[in-house]
Amino acid sequence: MTDFIIKYKWVIISVSFALAIGMGVLIPLSKTDPDIRNYIPRSLPSRVTNDSIEKEFGVQDMIIVLFTDSSILTPVDLREIKEVDKAFSRMEGIGTVNSLYTARKIKGEEGMMVVDPLIKKIPETPEETEALKEDILANRFARGIVVSSDMTAAAITGTVNTNVPEYVTLNKVDSVIAVQKGNAEIMTGGLPYIRKHIVEDVNHDAMFLIPIALLMMLVVLKLSLGDWRSVLMPFTVVILSTVFTMGMIPLLGWKFSIIMCLAPIILISVANNYGIYLVSRYQELRRSDLPVGGKEMIRSITGSLNMPILFSGLTTIAGLLGLLAHSIIPARQVGILSAAGVTLALVMSLLLIPAFIYLQHTPRRKNRQVRDYSNDLISRALKKVSAVIIKRPGRVLLVSLVITLLTGIGFAFLRIDTNQENFFPHKSPVRKVSELINSKFGGSQTISVMISGDIKDPVLMQKIDDLTQRLKGSEGVGTVFSISDFVREMSKALYEPGEEEYDRIPSSTEAIAQMFELYNMSGNPDDFKQLMNFDNTKAHILVRLSNTDNKVVKALEDDIRSYTSDFPARVTTGGYAVIMTDFAQQIINGQVASLAFALLTVFILLAINFKSLKGGLIGSIPLAGSIVIQFGFMGLVGIPIDAATALLSSIMIGVGVDFTIQYMWRYNNELRKGVTRQEAIATTHRTTGRSIFINALSVMVGFSATFFSGFLSIRFFGYLVWLSIGSCFLYAIVFIPALLLYFKPSFIEANLSHSIKKKDKNEKDAIPIISGVGSVTAGYAGSIARSRTADGEKS
Amino acid sequence: MSGNIQSTVTLTITEKNGSVRTRKLNMFTKSYDDGTIKRMVKFLDPADVRGTAMLIIDNKDVQDDIWIYLPALKKTRRIVSTEKGKSFMSSEFSNADMSSGSNSDFTIKHMPESGKNDTWVIESIPVNDDKADEYGFTKKITYLDKKDLKTKKIDFYNFDNVLFKTIEIVATQPLAGKEGYIMTDMLAENHLNGRSSRVKFDQVNTSAMIPDNTFVADNLAR
Repeated sequence: MTDFIIKYKWVIISVSFALAIGMGVLIPLSKTDPDIRNYIPRSLPSRVTNDSIEKEFGVQDMIIVLFTDSSILTPVDLREIKEVDKAFSRMEGIGTVNSLYTARKIKGEEGMMVVDPLIKKIPETPEETEALKEDILANRFARGIVVSSDMTAAAITGTVNTNVPEYVTLNKVDSVIAVQKGNAEIMTGGLPYIRKHIVEDVNHDAMFLIPIALLMMLVVLKLSLGDWRSVLMPFTVVILSTVFTMGMIPLLGWKFSIIMCLAPIILISVANNYGIYLVSRYQELRRSDLPVGGKEMIRSITGSLNMPILFSGLTTIAGLLGLLAHSIIPARQVGILSAAGVTLALVMSLLLIPAFIYLQHTPRRKNRQVRDYSNDLISRALKKVSAVIIKRPGRVLLVSLVITLLTGIGFAFLRIDTNQENFFPHKSPVRKVSELINSKFGGSQTISVMISGDIKDPVLMQKIDDLTQRLKGSEGVGTVFSISDFVREMSKALYEPGEEEYDRIPSSTEAIAQMFELYNMSGNPDDFKQLMNFDNTKAHILVRLSNTDNKVVKALEDDIRSYTSDFPARVTTGGYAVIMTDFAQQIINGQVASLAFALLTVFILLAINFKSLKGGLIGSIPLAGSIVIQFGFMGLVGIPIDAATALLSSIMIGVGVDFTIQYMWRYNNELRKGVTRQEAIATTHRTTGRSIFINALSVMVGFSATFFSGFLSIRFFGYLVWLSIGSCFLYAIVFIPALLLYFKPSFIEANLSHSIKKKDKNEKDAIPIISGVGSVTAGYAGSIARSRTADGEKS
Repeated sequence: MSGNIQSTVTLTITEKNGSVRTRKLNMFTKSYDDGTIKRMVKFLDPADVRGTAMLIIDNKDVQDDIWIYLPALKKTRRIVSTEKGKSFMSSEFSNADMSSGSNSDFTIKHMPESGKNDTWVIESIPVNDDKADEYGFTKKITYLDKKDLKTKKIDFYNFDNVLFKTIEIVATQPLAGKEGYIMTDMLAENHLNGRSSRVKFDQVNTSAMIPDNTFVADNLAR
């Protein structure tokens, strides 16, 4: 290995840089995918159903322009709305437009059916304004749809036409609004705008979070490694592997998404682990009194560290690949990207860093004092912790359990949130507009009910009407658009109020067919386009939701299913809200699968290493405890599980789990030396405990970059990384030692005499990985391979 | 179209996905010197709308008068609609396409490329924004056959100056005893939504004397 590195050092360096540069040039080709729908596999039933509905009735995503004023019916405001409406109706990227100026009133008047625009003329006098207000309040197609019932807000909605790129349409809408100089405040919203904001914020995140994370990591490296030359070696690996990974996104034809930003952050936090370890070892060897040549230096470093680093890297990769258990597409992509990045970082650490070391190494004698950490803040804190544990292990266990269980109460309040709007902070304009739309205009998110059958059949039309009325009275429903409303409205125009058929569904197929024909001739046939297909074989009930909570949507979906079971037609439900409910279920499934994977991986790993099932179980406690704390905390403070926070468990396995493994191995190793349990605990805290602390801290610092994300959810993710890695750390250095002392488990204490016999042999292989704080045998080196930090503290 | 015309009309609308809707109608049209066009339409097919009848008085400058009779409801209703320029029976043809239209609404000029491919090219631009909104287009290019001066094709441009609709004149028929012709087979294609509509006039009688009292609401139910 050493010979290979020395012989091919320039090849290694060139290939490493060429790979990163080659992939790096692809980065500008990256595209952003703002549509959370694409997080869900296309084969998922709700997506299949929704696609079939969209194929028939077009995409139901609405661009919404809101006008607000103390009274929106002033001539100035109405003229402004007219201007924007006119621009909307001319815009190619907008399909069906709904506004004060497209709304019609159909009424029967002295034997006439009058189909008129809701506003024929902008009212100028108070009387005319009052008449318009009454017209709006009496019009089921206007009240709460194009004007709020309190007349303080008006809305223009337009469905997006997929023939034109969405950003082109949105830019046009923005420029139309920008030139308006009326009194009303104009705001834009709806899913297309949410997507636009997501694209902007994802790009912001990519532009800022990655440099911030890199900067933070640079500070951590400087603090732990000291000189810049040592800092730059692992940092180069971080940069190259991160660039390589980001280049993979366009290469694989993937798109940047909200949670995809986490892949580089994970890499920045984890990719330097191995490098730090090697550089620390190099620093340590340089401090020795003997002048060592380059080749010997490389042989000495790689010979002792390659195996533990490899082992450590592989467990991290396995942990990150656990993300494949998720059905959320970008979660899987993050798993593959970060696993690939860590693999590259691992290979580069094993080849590139030794090559760097060889090139810059000059044999010299140096007589530097080894820095003593034994009395710094960390060591003193750890010493105090170990003293408390040694004195009262039972009480420590009890307190830990009580805290865990108390936090675990939060489980009961845990919610799942798949609403894209909630990715944004409360004060963001997106949230403000959404709240306004939900409270005054029946909501922007929809459920689509498609009824396939003979729509002209009066029995079916009556059932459609019954369902429509039922939905209007259901919880969480804002407004409902249905063909049956048009039919009833026409019957009101065709019959007099006293007649039996007034405001009713007609009783014959012919009557319904003729009404449709009448509307086609007198109204705007496009009015039907959204609600009934061309050959009258499919109807579409469009339900706008004022409450998009997953539970409310699920209840509505279930109600629709059971209510329509006797319909003489096929009924399917789709729509954005339904997909999101399905998505919530996917998140739960993914969460359960990745947690099961986490616990199983740790259990197997520990059971194999301690040759004991009990060892596996005890070692799994910190992860289980951290999971309870994480989810309990989320429930208590109201952080929901969403597309981003759902990834936490897998990151926890990849990063946080081996704290316990390290601790137990070191403790076992100390016992083998023949010391008392109390001494073993004290030594383990002083040595491995310290490295676990710094390891945990550096990961937490790396993820702190997410605090600056434009997305609330990604910020929460960052806070929760602190919580989950922090709790893994505390479990490893507080709970586990107390448990080992209190219960004295046989798997860790059995055959100690046998081990002691073996100790002599192991001591020969001893590698002074952590000089000044003890040594670890090569046989156990894998366990502490992740603990870069004690080395890292040397300078 | 102008003069008296009595014919059977087959209107076929084809959706992008291939779905077809066909309506067969009997239509009587009479044009008056003051520019008024009266039209009586009776549905023959499909069965569920047979007997539905419509009387349209297309007034030159004031809003249209429309009466409709729905046999299943046994109701005659007058429809007041202030909207013009909308689609003709939900087809790709606008009501304006179905009438002779008014040249005064447009600025008309011969285009430089006139004469090529044996056609004259005529550009018609609505005189103002309101007219453009009323007609639903910003520019119309008409191609006339140089030999007989008959319209071959009309292209319509939308507010983004994108060609959105083309009407092709498939067949024409001379007017009996008069100069001019009527278009008896037209195909309209919407390039944006992929829909197309064809209106075909059969058994066209341009010499029939249609009495004025044909166009009264009482006749709708007969």
